[in-house]
Amino acid sequence: MKFKTVKISEIDRQDHRFRFNLKPVDERILTGVKEAGVVQPLLVILREGRLILVDGWRRLEAALSCHMEELPVFELESRMGDLGAFQLAFFINYTQHRFSLAEKALAARRFLEFNLPAEEIIERILPLLELPPLKKTLEILLEISSLDGKSIEMIHRKDWKQATAELWLRFLPEERNWMLRLIERLTHNQQHELVETFYSVKKLTGVGPEIIVREKGLDRITGSLRKGESAAFDRLLAELRKITSPLRSRLSEEISEKIKELKLPLKVQVDYDPTLEKPGLKISFEARSAGQLEEIIKSLSENFSLNNWDSIFQLLNYRGD
Amino acid sequence: MDRLQIKKVWVDRKVESRPLTRQILERLGGCHVEVVDSLEGVLRAIRLASDPVGESKKNLYLTEQLSFIRPCPCSPGCVSCGYWNIDLDLNCPFDCSYCVLQSYLNYQPLTVAINRDGLERELEEFFQKKGRIPIRIGTGELADSLGLDSITSNAIFLTELFRGKEGVWLELKSKSARIQPLLEVKPPANVILSWSLNPQAVIDSEEKGTASLKERLEAAAAAFKHGYQVGFHFDPIIHYPGWKEEYSQVIVSIFKIIPAEAIAWISLGSLRFPHRLKLLARFRFPESMIYEHEFIRSPEGKYRYPRPLRLYLYEEISQIFSDYGAADKLYLCMESAEVWQAFMQKIKRGRRFIAFPFPWLS
Repeated sequence: MKFKTVKISEIDRQDHRFRFNLKPVDERILTGVKEAGVVQPLLVILREGRLILVDGWRRLEAALSCHMEELPVFELESRMGDLGAFQLAFFINYTQHRFSLAEKALAARRFLEFNLPAEEIIERILPLLELPPLKKTLEILLEISSLDGKSIEMIHRKDWKQATAELWLRFLPEERNWMLRLIERLTHNQQHELVETFYSVKKLTGVGPEIIVREKGLDRITGSLRKGESAAFDRLLAELRKITSPLRSRLSEEISEKIKELKLPLKVQVDYDPTLEKPGLKISFEARSAGQLEEIIKSLSENFSLNNWDSIFQLLNYRGD
Repeated sequence: MDRLQIKKVWVDRKVESRPLTRQILERLGGCHVEVVDSLEGVLRAIRLASDPVGESKKNLYLTEQLSFIRPCPCSPGCVSCGYWNIDLDLNCPFDCSYCVLQSYLNYQPLTVAINRDGLERELEEFFQKKGRIPIRIGTGELADSLGLDSITSNAIFLTELFRGKEGVWLELKSKSARIQPLLEVKPPANVILSWSLNPQAVIDSEEKGTASLKERLEAAAAAFKHGYQVGFHFDPIIHYPGWKEEYSQVIVSIFKIIPAEAIAWISLGSLRFPHRLKLLARFRFPESMIYEHEFIRSPEGKYRYPRPLRLYLYEEISQIFSDYGAADKLYLCMESAEVWQAFMQKIKRGRRFIAFPFPWLS
């Protein structure tokens, strides 16, 4: 390994064969490079007369942003194979930060492309990536690594779990494309919930997400969601759950309606278990004096004799499909 | 008909020379055999398959078990029926889409405990210590009681161990119809042969490799004719369009061949599963629709049908059993106190206490 200074133009920036780190250049790196230059040399290797970057993409991008022309590099022996070079890149990054699922997927693909036997990836590399050492896991990672750039970027940026990605892989490319635009502003948990619900809806109806939204007249809600209106997420989920959880959706809607019809005093709150596991009602109120307490109990008592509370309990104790 | 598909037998060096090992290897004929020092090598082979759960069902591991008897753990927050388990085999050759063993056993191969003498000793102690409370105990929790019986003959071994033991009921629970050896011995009064039942449509779509409904019922009829008491497990009950008619037909079929008096117990349990199983089985069984049904996440973390639906399923099914005078044989498996309570109001009978709803056993 030789240390030297090279012109940035000497580095082939189009060759990404060793790249799997998806972290973007952040302010801290930019500031560091601006103030102190690139202190830690990049790792390069000579291939067919060109210098290929093995590690240091973010430093290179930061240097370019700072209009630097030269960089310090360690040049690996060119007789070192691609697998050896990539292993160096992998372990340098491994010690520095936690990989996202997308980065793990890209790393697994690189290892395989550089002819590390699948068994070795499964038994040696997957445990390092905190993944179960199963052939199935490797197969899923390879599928993820073959996704389009936007999906990979989303999986990385929102730090998706394997369970979300596995569901994502079950959609057609055009369905993923449509959903990407819908979910990009949501948190990972929200994304998972929506992806899983769309998966169930698709299995139940045989119809993809975009079509189901159109058929159910939910375009306005999805439009709001794309604009980043957070309440639209709950509204869309509630509408989709009418398909995936019809019994609970119907009962909850009816119970809420009946509770509204009671026109209870403002200080009285009525709650019930939304899973319907517990068939009871919880009634709470706040009183700040004995007089207030008497008033609330009286109004509740009047309300009880005027309204049909029994219908709520009938719904809570409903049996049927 | 169910048929074993063993790809390879792994023999733990510790049991290599045991007679039962020899007997099993002989029965398996030309199967590839490897002697190993630990389970790790077996697991390695399983993990390198694309479908490790499926692979675990094709690899047989003959080994020793440290202990065999334990109380059924039930499910946290659910009312226990006081069952006990004997873990003589682990894993099951059948491949049911809803089976919790897929995620519970961590790719454990089909495992047979060769040191049955250890179980014998443990059981002797268990019989002495059990006191006067009637005990129900079985091998069908982490395995199918008859799934590997064609090579182990464990059913006869256990039947003889329990013969004449008072206050203890051994249950051999299965989705297999292979009971011939049990028909060649005098049936002990305390050995119950039981079958998990579902409509044939559910068996076709969700219970791969198992005996058909007809075969299971014919086996139950043969067991009854031979003098055994039988049991039935409607667990998991699956909700789908037409469920009521199809479950009703199954129940009608039972009573065409078996009188209520010959039935020791009937359990009802609806489809439920932990989150881990959903992640795994949804993709192992892409054609199955059961994971897309309507569920709630119950307090113990399992997915279950909503309570209104569960109660509806139980009550409709119990009504049909009532029509045949068998409602008092019913109990619920892994259900909440709320559901037990609501269900019991419908089928009133003198129960001593909820955790052991089998007054007819004592």
